[in-house]
Amino acid sequence: MPNDYLILTILVFIPLTGCLLLVPVWSRVEWARRIALGAALLDLVLACWVYAAAPAVIAGGGTLPGFFLWEDLPWIERFGIRYTLGMDGIALPMVLLTAFITVIAMLVSWRAIKERVTFHYFLILVMETGIMGVFLSLDLFLFYLFWEVMLIPMFFLIGIWGHGRRIYSAVKFFLFTLAGSLLMLLAIIGLYLIHGDQSGAYTFGLPALLHTQIASGASLWLFAAFLLAFAIKVPIFPVHTWLPDAHTDAPTAGSVILAALLLKTGAYGLIRFGYPLFPEAARTFTPLLYILGVIGIIYGSWVAFAQADMKRLVAYSSVGHMGFVVLGIAAWTPVALSGAVMQMVNHGVTTGALFALVGMLDERSGTRSIAAFGGLWGKAPVYSFFFLLFSLASLGLPGLNNFVGEFLVLAGVFRVSPIAACFAFVGVVVTLIYMLRLVQEVLFVGERTPLPLADISFREGIVLGVMGVTVIILGVYPAPFLDLVSMPVALLTGGGLP
Amino acid sequence: METIAMPAINFAAIMPETILSVIAMALLLINVFVPSEQKAYLGYLSLIGIVVTFFTVIGGWGTPQEGFNGSVMQDNFALFFKGIFLVSAALSILISDQYMKREECNHGELYPLILLATCGMMLMASGTDLMTIFLGLELLSVSLYVLAGFQRDSLKSNEAGLKYFLLGAFSTGFLLYGMALIYGATGTTRIAAIASYVAQNSLAGSNLMLLIGMVLMAVGFSFKIAAAPFHMWTPDVYEGAPTPMTAFMSVGPKAAGFAAFVRVFVIALPTLRADWADLLWVLAVLTMTVGNITALYQKNIKRMLAYSSIAHAGYVLVGFVAGNAVGTAGIMFYMLSYAFMNIGAFAIIVLVGKKGEPNNNVEDYAGFGFKHPLLAVCMSIFLFSLAGIPPAAGFIGKFYLFSGAIQAGYIWLAIIGVLNSAASVYYYLRVMVFMYMKDPVEEFDWLKVSPAIALCLIIAVAGVLIPGIVPGYLLELAQKAVLL
Amino acid sequence: MLESLFFLIVAAVAVLSGILVITCKNPINSALSLILTFFCVATFYVMLEAPFMAAVQVIVYAGAIMVLIVFVIMLLNIKTETDKRTSHAVLISSIIGLFVLFETIYFLNRSSLTGSKGLMDSAMIKSVGHTEIIGKALFTDFLLPFEITSLLLLVAIVGAVVVSKRKI
Repeated sequence: MPNDYLILTILVFIPLTGCLLLVPVWSRVEWARRIALGAALLDLVLACWVYAAAPAVIAGGGTLPGFFLWEDLPWIERFGIRYTLGMDGIALPMVLLTAFITVIAMLVSWRAIKERVTFHYFLILVMETGIMGVFLSLDLFLFYLFWEVMLIPMFFLIGIWGHGRRIYSAVKFFLFTLAGSLLMLLAIIGLYLIHGDQSGAYTFGLPALLHTQIASGASLWLFAAFLLAFAIKVPIFPVHTWLPDAHTDAPTAGSVILAALLLKTGAYGLIRFGYPLFPEAARTFTPLLYILGVIGIIYGSWVAFAQADMKRLVAYSSVGHMGFVVLGIAAWTPVALSGAVMQMVNHGVTTGALFALVGMLDERSGTRSIAAFGGLWGKAPVYSFFFLLFSLASLGLPGLNNFVGEFLVLAGVFRVSPIAACFAFVGVVVTLIYMLRLVQEVLFVGERTPLPLADISFREGIVLGVMGVTVIILGVYPAPFLDLVSMPVALLTGGGLP
Repeated sequence: METIAMPAINFAAIMPETILSVIAMALLLINVFVPSEQKAYLGYLSLIGIVVTFFTVIGGWGTPQEGFNGSVMQDNFALFFKGIFLVSAALSILISDQYMKREECNHGELYPLILLATCGMMLMASGTDLMTIFLGLELLSVSLYVLAGFQRDSLKSNEAGLKYFLLGAFSTGFLLYGMALIYGATGTTRIAAIASYVAQNSLAGSNLMLLIGMVLMAVGFSFKIAAAPFHMWTPDVYEGAPTPMTAFMSVGPKAAGFAAFVRVFVIALPTLRADWADLLWVLAVLTMTVGNITALYQKNIKRMLAYSSIAHAGYVLVGFVAGNAVGTAGIMFYMLSYAFMNIGAFAIIVLVGKKGEPNNNVEDYAGFGFKHPLLAVCMSIFLFSLAGIPPAAGFIGKFYLFSGAIQAGYIWLAIIGVLNSAASVYYYLRVMVFMYMKDPVEEFDWLKVSPAIALCLIIAVAGVLIPGIVPGYLLELAQKAVLL
Repeated sequence: MLESLFFLIVAAVAVLSGILVITCKNPINSALSLILTFFCVATFYVMLEAPFMAAVQVIVYAGAIMVLIVFVIMLLNIKTETDKRTSHAVLISSIIGLFVLFETIYFLNRSSLTGSKGLMDSAMIKSVGHTEIIGKALFTDFLLPFEITSLLLLVAIVGAVVVSKRKI
């Protein structure tokens, strides 16, 4: 159903419009903050409305089955580039997550950013537009455009407001992701030409490209280029090295967005473009993905265990958690893929919350060293409660969200590759160990150096409360979410409608 | 007594050139009566001339005009390039006045020289006879030698002028020798006649004279477009020349060099395609790589942009090697967007400098982003465009060029191209790192934006962003201007 | 046979004097060597049955221009360049130059260098007259290049004034 109200376009461009509104109030910080938050909230409300209205139209379809919102306008006709946006049951949770996390990131940095405040919010809004665009575009050229656009604000966020070796981290982040994505651009062009030569219709639109017959050698190379770009973003094991630096040195809002959203774009790209476009090549690469996913889980958890800096610990835990997503995608069965999508959302909420918590500690005490804290439970009980909640969620306690995702992934993978599932389980155990250690050291061991720590403020309470409720709801009652995801997942894996 | 039958002249074919040269000569005369603090008026007059010329260029679109017995051909290809030259000349003139006044060398001869150089470029783009192309190139080069050394009190500028002159004369020798050999092999200087002679007598592959002539011409053109390994003059000349003239000579002459290069090789020597494609393949790879890798080490921003301009010549060569419609249109689109982004960047460099202190080091930009946010945003847009990040015209241009290469089967060339492009991002980012992420050392309180430079920046930003977001129209134009 | 022997001699002199132009320490000697080169080139023109070009070459280049050059050298009183430059660059570039030279000779020996025979053969030149042919070519086929030359000269004059005049 091509929608007449251009809801998706509005969804993508509300933040950018918010940016423009910031310009007149550039030097009036309080106003700028409110306008930015207003724009983000408006986007969130719209996304929620789409979610609420989705079941009614879920049977409708665009050119691709499973898509219930669809916009298609000519853009650069010479090249067959169109402005195509579409939303299905996988994009919708990602959009919700994006809108949600952006609001959270703004609230988290409400007081922490003291200089160049308006610019900070400006960049967050630009990034929201970029990320929304990545999740919604169904034209490869458009996708690439948004893919690059979201890099620039993050580069500035890390470089301007970051800590430590912020410039090094910012540049490393930018170069790593750019190098990968440029090769993907070549692959996109290659695919476009192959398809055009075959059918005579040159187009970058995903629906048409899905039916391209590619010689197996060429498709291996093309998939490899896509995989490299997405692997850098996810990040998958050998190309993950930018992540700890970028996460650690970014400001809190940057870390939250980076972990919760940017990493998801890589996995989403694999699900939306990589696998469907090159199914055979993907099958060839599956063993490699299993291995790298398992290495990611174990290595990430293992290195996280050795960290003394809380932020770095959470950063490495991301590598581990995203390993599960990779495994789920590699298995490519309905169960595993649903788990992977769920795990993407879970990781977004949980890790985002953990970064926010670490940021709050950092704001109050100026240090993130695990050794500096101890006995927080007695001094800041509300804070400690949330810290415990999200840590437990992160290690996969049943009843909380990560458990559901990890369980689905492991169950799905086990049927295809029991060995990979077994190794992944080892990772779960290591995660358990380092998370419990973190909780114990920070919350329960007796006070080491007395720090003047205030408990959380009302604003922080709202942020953490909302995230906590999300974590619990997703953990206890994931059925609506899984229902939403089930149809597109079934379509993608070729299993037909469940 | 026998009379000479004059050839069909057809002034329509050289209308833009005629207007520009007449205005240039008029300006030389007017210059005498203009007091030295009001030389800006000459700039305005020349801008009017450029605008008028631009309208004749637009008016000529779609109706190819041949003139002077086949010495010149104003087709869409030539017209598109003429548009690029006019844009680059106009933007450079807009940034000239403030700079020249500051450096106390605002002599009125500047503007006629720029116009005549532009005239030379136009002849290069529309010349269909080796002699026309060569003389157009000489007209351009001689003007540029003077413009490079225009700041007479500055040793660096003198050095730039002299160096450019010596190496330019050297490269002219190569070019002329090549042309002479081709004339020797085919007995004509008309490029269409060369092609038909070569085809009729099947000289391709067997005739060494033709081959050597082609190689020597390639060398001569490579000097002009600053392709490695013939790029040695570029950094010194770009660094020493007055900044607005650096902006001018980094764009216009390069585009003119490509126009003549493409026309001669594609029209006159299509039968030697396999030979020159291999040659240019190597040149393209060398040029991109040498340009980018050396740019990584530059501290001086003008030198950095000089090396980056070498790298950009390499990307454009990729489109040339591809040789198909997409690649050739890519060259045109890219050179046009390059005009906007590069001259825009140089406009900022002009502004940041002050009398006697050019402030050309990257460190001098520390904290610039928060002292002058608008200017810094403009600079960022230009740099991102140069780096090929969407949504800027530079990205679409690169996309176009590399698509052409892939379509023609030069996949490795495209891969080397994008890897280079990724490496190049580093040095563009470094400027932004200094602008936004370092604490300011200077207050930048001397900085004043004259209306002319403001206009230049507005045009340049529009020229980078609009084709970046809605490139359809320009792509159509470029596609229609392809020679093939 | 005799003609090619003559050519070889003149060519050798031309190359040698050309080398002398850039190797002489004293600018006057360089200038004089340049005159010699010009004369040799004029000789080539004569051998190619282009007497008009030969005359122009002698009058304009060897005559007028060289007089100007020598005059300028005298006026400026340029001292003899004395510092010796025998850096690695010279060595490397000589090696590359020699390499290219041998390469060229090698290729020239291996394949034929046949040009095309144009309209202007000896009979034609004798019947029409060399000067007239040049004049016709300049005003018909090469009218536009001929006109561009005037602009080129204008630029050169303006450039010379801009670069050198003390006060403009």
